[in-house]
Amino acid sequence: MTTTTQTLFRSYIIEEYHLTEEPYYVPTGDEIQLFEAAYESKIPVLFKGPTGCGKTRFVEYMSYRLGQSRTKISGKDATTNDSQDSKNLPLVTIACHEDLTASDLVGRYLLQGDETIWIDGPLTRAVKAGGICYLDEIVEARKDTTVLIHPLTDHRRILPIEKRGELLEAADGFLLVMSYNPGYQSALKDLKHSTRQRFVAIEFDYPEKEVEAEIVAHEAGIDLTIAEGLAKLGEKIRNLKEHGLAEGASTRLLIYAGRMIAQGVEPRRACQVSVNWAVTDDYTLQASIDEVIKSIFE
Amino acid sequence: MEELTPLQHKETVYEELHQIAPGAGEEFAKAWLSMSLVLKTDQLDVWANVGIRIARQSVRSWEVAAQYYKTSPSIVTLMPFNRFEEWARAGESICEDSSTVATCYLISSPLVLKKLRARHVAEWATMGQRLYKGTWKSSTLACKFFENSPQLTENLEIKNLDSFVSFLEYISRRSYDVATDCLNLSLDIFPILGEADEEFIALASSTAETGWRQVKNLFDATARSLPRIQAGQRHRFITLADRLRASEISNVPGTMLDMSHALSELSADYHEPVLAMSEDLLLHEPQAVPEFIKTTPQTLGRVSVSQLEQWYIEGVGILKQNHEGGLAYFRLESSTAQGMLESLSASVEFDRVQELMQMYCQALAGSDIEVAASTELAEKRIGWFSTDTPTTEGTTVYVPNVADRYPTKDENFDLFKVISTHQVARLEFGSFHFLFDLPATQFSNLRHELEKRVLEANDTHDDKTIEWVTDVQRLFNLVSDRQLALDLFTLLEGGRLDSRVVTEYLGMRRSYEKVQEDALNSRPNIKEMTARETLVEFLVRVTLRSSSNVAIPQEYHFEAERLASIAKKILLHRTTVEDTAEAMLRAYAILSKIPNREIEDEEWHDIDTGEQEDYEITAEDDENTIEQILQGMGGNLPEQSSETETTDDKEYEPSQDVDYRGDFKPEMVQLLEQLRLQQGDGSSESGDPQQITQEMLQELISNSVEMEASGNGDGTEDMTAELAENMLKEAQMSSQPTNPNRGQGPLSHIDEEGGEIDSEEPQTFAYDEWDFRADDYKPRWCLVREKVMPEGDPAYYGQTLADYSALVNQIRRQFELLVPEMFRRQRKLEDGEEIDIDDVIEAMVDIKTGASPSDKLYWRRNKVQRDVAVVFLMDTSASTAEAIDESRRGEEWDAPDDPVEYMTWLRTRRSEGVRRSYKRIIDLEKEACVMLINALESIGDVYGIYAFSGYGRENVEFYTVKDIDQPFADNVKKRIDRISPLHATRMGPAIRHATAKLDSHDAKTKLLFLISDGRPQDRGYSREGVEKEYAVHDTKRAFDEARAKNVIPFCLTVDKNGHDYLAAMCQDIGYEILDDILQLPHRLLYLYRRLTM
Repeated sequence: MTTTTQTLFRSYIIEEYHLTEEPYYVPTGDEIQLFEAAYESKIPVLFKGPTGCGKTRFVEYMSYRLGQSRTKISGKDATTNDSQDSKNLPLVTIACHEDLTASDLVGRYLLQGDETIWIDGPLTRAVKAGGICYLDEIVEARKDTTVLIHPLTDHRRILPIEKRGELLEAADGFLLVMSYNPGYQSALKDLKHSTRQRFVAIEFDYPEKEVEAEIVAHEAGIDLTIAEGLAKLGEKIRNLKEHGLAEGASTRLLIYAGRMIAQGVEPRRACQVSVNWAVTDDYTLQASIDEVIKSIFE
Repeated sequence: MEELTPLQHKETVYEELHQIAPGAGEEFAKAWLSMSLVLKTDQLDVWANVGIRIARQSVRSWEVAAQYYKTSPSIVTLMPFNRFEEWARAGESICEDSSTVATCYLISSPLVLKKLRARHVAEWATMGQRLYKGTWKSSTLACKFFENSPQLTENLEIKNLDSFVSFLEYISRRSYDVATDCLNLSLDIFPILGEADEEFIALASSTAETGWRQVKNLFDATARSLPRIQAGQRHRFITLADRLRASEISNVPGTMLDMSHALSELSADYHEPVLAMSEDLLLHEPQAVPEFIKTTPQTLGRVSVSQLEQWYIEGVGILKQNHEGGLAYFRLESSTAQGMLESLSASVEFDRVQELMQMYCQALAGSDIEVAASTELAEKRIGWFSTDTPTTEGTTVYVPNVADRYPTKDENFDLFKVISTHQVARLEFGSFHFLFDLPATQFSNLRHELEKRVLEANDTHDDKTIEWVTDVQRLFNLVSDRQLALDLFTLLEGGRLDSRVVTEYLGMRRSYEKVQEDALNSRPNIKEMTARETLVEFLVRVTLRSSSNVAIPQEYHFEAERLASIAKKILLHRTTVEDTAEAMLRAYAILSKIPNREIEDEEWHDIDTGEQEDYEITAEDDENTIEQILQGMGGNLPEQSSETETTDDKEYEPSQDVDYRGDFKPEMVQLLEQLRLQQGDGSSESGDPQQITQEMLQELISNSVEMEASGNGDGTEDMTAELAENMLKEAQMSSQPTNPNRGQGPLSHIDEEGGEIDSEEPQTFAYDEWDFRADDYKPRWCLVREKVMPEGDPAYYGQTLADYSALVNQIRRQFELLVPEMFRRQRKLEDGEEIDIDDVIEAMVDIKTGASPSDKLYWRRNKVQRDVAVVFLMDTSASTAEAIDESRRGEEWDAPDDPVEYMTWLRTRRSEGVRRSYKRIIDLEKEACVMLINALESIGDVYGIYAFSGYGRENVEFYTVKDIDQPFADNVKKRIDRISPLHATRMGPAIRHATAKLDSHDAKTKLLFLISDGRPQDRGYSREGVEKEYAVHDTKRAFDEARAKNVIPFCLTVDKNGHDYLAAMCQDIGYEILDDILQLPHRLLYLYRRLTM
């Protein structure tokens, strides 16, 4: 069946997608230790924190890191001819949205030719493969969908697949991780207590200025002085939170600005388009932030 | 002639008239009856005879007589008889001149005399008469005058009307046509003239005198100009025009048109200032006024009003020197005018950038700081006096009102930014957080050693220890010459901040350097200074990064180099305020050695600040520094110490502040901060040793040189006392919001003795109540008694539905639209939860028959499942008995003014109320309730309807109309009929009870709908019976509790004054105020639909 034509894109089966290189992550506290402990004791983890502060990157990093350590252990015990596949922990990321139904997570019947076939949903795949299932922005999902994960998150570690009449037991390495941004807390988008009390919560915030500069420099490939300027800008803009700004400038935005600069865009302009205009539509606020940008960058 | 009875007399007159003209006789007969009711017999005689005389005057005059009789009844009631007689005789007299004019006079009389006072009747008649000159054209004019008199008398006072008529008369001598035209136009002008009638008539008259041909143009121009000008300013415009005419400006009408055209292009708010300036300009040069006004659209397009004023003043100055030049200036035809405009428009006014700068500074400082104009700080009188220098007192950055040093707006804005950034830097880089005990980063620490030695030295003289309150004060206590120390500290700290800013904010570098350079150029001439001042000035220039050579007396080059290297240590590294302090001590030691003597011309020798080696400070130097400072302290009294050196020493003049750095008062700021802190944590009870009293403050202030530096050297007792007081106030003010009413115990409530209530009886429930002053709940404070609403007539329900059948149908349709959304599955989707077997079969058939099958085979459940439980809580307080919206009631709702009549009227109204011919608020609530039930039944939401009222906290009545679990039945219909106004409105417990009801019910969306007609109030539902906020706070608290239980509250009120308290009561919960209460049923259902969608 394999063809020799060159494929124009790379496509993976969900659970076979691994990270091949170690993702760049700078710890800001004891989060690595906490996550490892939770993983070992199979307790699901909840990430809290503002947007763009590195939650997703952290889970990528952890999946790689845990994969590495598992390979080492199994490498010692078993034979050394370990294949590429077992090297990493599969990471299944699901972006939650308002219309996310149970079928979207668990799976559904599809028609093929004149028969129906069952297709596993991403959650089912992660449960089977024993990887990390990362539910991003969980509050966005419908509440009835969220309940589905309850049996997976306690001692049972099972996923009932109603339509097939099955109970699926989670593989050993499986761990459920959710992220959640308490910033836009509203009555409608809050996590049920029965859900949130099944997780250990790790709080994230934007890193310290020095660390952030380092991250921005690395991620954007710019020199440290510019990165320091960007980190300073981030700090200053975050000062404006609660003064008209709903959310501070995220590290991700700063990195974007850095990348624009790396591509030769003039720093002031880069910050304007990728930071200032991204964080607010308010004219006065934009003007003020513009002045801050002009003060920091030549 | 024998006595005739009135009736006989009537017959006689009638006969007589009938003979002259039958028409007149008829009118007389018609009028007679009503006249005879008002007039006495002899008066009737007079009245009748005037008519007869009129009728006899000429062939056609019987028509006038007929009109006279016809009009009389409506006139006679308006005035006493003697005036009436005047009126009649005036008519007679006019008729002698012209019967046409007389008819016009009579016809317009009733309308005119409603406005005109009776005593002016004759005057008015004469006016018309004056206009009649015997020609037919003049009779047209006179007629026109009488015809239009109703409008004229309405708008003009009699005095002005008289002068207007004189004017018309004057014009009519030249041309009747012009006079008639003017009269016509005046009808448009007078109503919009405002207060300027007199001025306008004066203007018209004087124009007429100079050139009657222009008069029509003037009227024309006025009629067209006035509407363009703001109503309140029209009189000024007219006055202006009049004065322009007086100053012999040609073509006033044309000028008026031009000016009004220009004004019409401005915003109406500008008319006032522009006219004010014009009036002023008039005194200088009338010719310039039209030019000035004509250019305002251009000038005000570029500058603000206050700037225009400056521009104007400049122009007046030019005008005084050079008449032609001034005119050209106002015509905008001079480069001075343009240049001035340019520089004005280039200036940056604080008001315009306040918001922007506020955010900017907040972002930089990272704390809650305000930005304000320096004038505000000066007004507080807490130690800062200058109104135009930038400064900060720790929480607010003060900047000048305007930056206008540079020719372009950008440069001025940059200056503004530099100024504010420097002030913010004081906060960001901790100028005011100087800690005596914190070590410096670049210098070894001499402070402690010095303090120890100073204390030792003092001990030998007397036992006095040095007291200090702030760390800065403690530092300055180490030196004898505080002024010099402060100068040094200020300039070194300024330099430090500058260098920090420039390294931290690279983008500021260019504008900062420019401002620094300018500051450098505006420094005072160093060669006029004494020796010590010279070196201080030298140091200032070093901190300003002077690159050029500075002249310094040859003798002190060594000291200057040492000073420069100390300063550079601060400028070249990331230093802290403690470094500044150490540097200050060292610089102080060097400078205090130098006598403050005059410098001879030949001594000056340039020193290059750029190239010199950095001098490393050794331990030996440190020892010298301490020695030197101690030597100064040795005399204990600063005056003595400075005089010990040489006798020809000058007194040291404080160094001039660097302009953009502004005022720097570390001691005062630290003091204020301490005061705020002291207020903030309420340490007053704990007996803190650092407690600052007003006496201490006064002493501190009088010791501090920061005050004297600000030019109030007198520093009298009163002054310091006032300052201290103001500072205390200031500190209190700024700490108040974070610390409301601390230390006040809960006060007892007058109406509210007693404690908790227990709900012993069945169907009673006790609830807590929130006391916002105590910031706590009063436990089990209110007792809610739940009762079932008694039953009434079930027909009411059907009747209401029938009355509103149109609305009911409409609502039903709208609500039914909600249903399909809830239950229908979405079919034929490409992707969904399940395969739809029907579609699959269809697709299979398609495949078998060879058609291409659809791939839309899935269905999905609708995403929102309707699961709503709602409680409607109706306020049935006594006030709901009020009739709705009185204005709607029209004529019949005319309350008499007289109190006695009012009471009878009210009683009839009240008794009517039994029949209820009008609607009360409660009626609408009931109708709304009926319609709600009808609509809710159609979509199957779970709902409950309750009414509440009560009297006092132990008696909150809570009536069930339909319980939330109860199905809709006939008894509910009967209960609705019995909803009626009861007592007071204690909302809190009612809301809590309703919330409890909802809480026991499981639904996804829970709503609590409060329908009320006013603010919550009840006996004792306030603190000390008066504070309405108590009730509002409790209600808000109850709403918050509801929200915590996942219930969404909504408040709908028909109280038009609701905005006062609803904003506080419903801070973040939905509320709506119904303007039109009749909309209640309709609106309620609309809101319900919207909330549950």
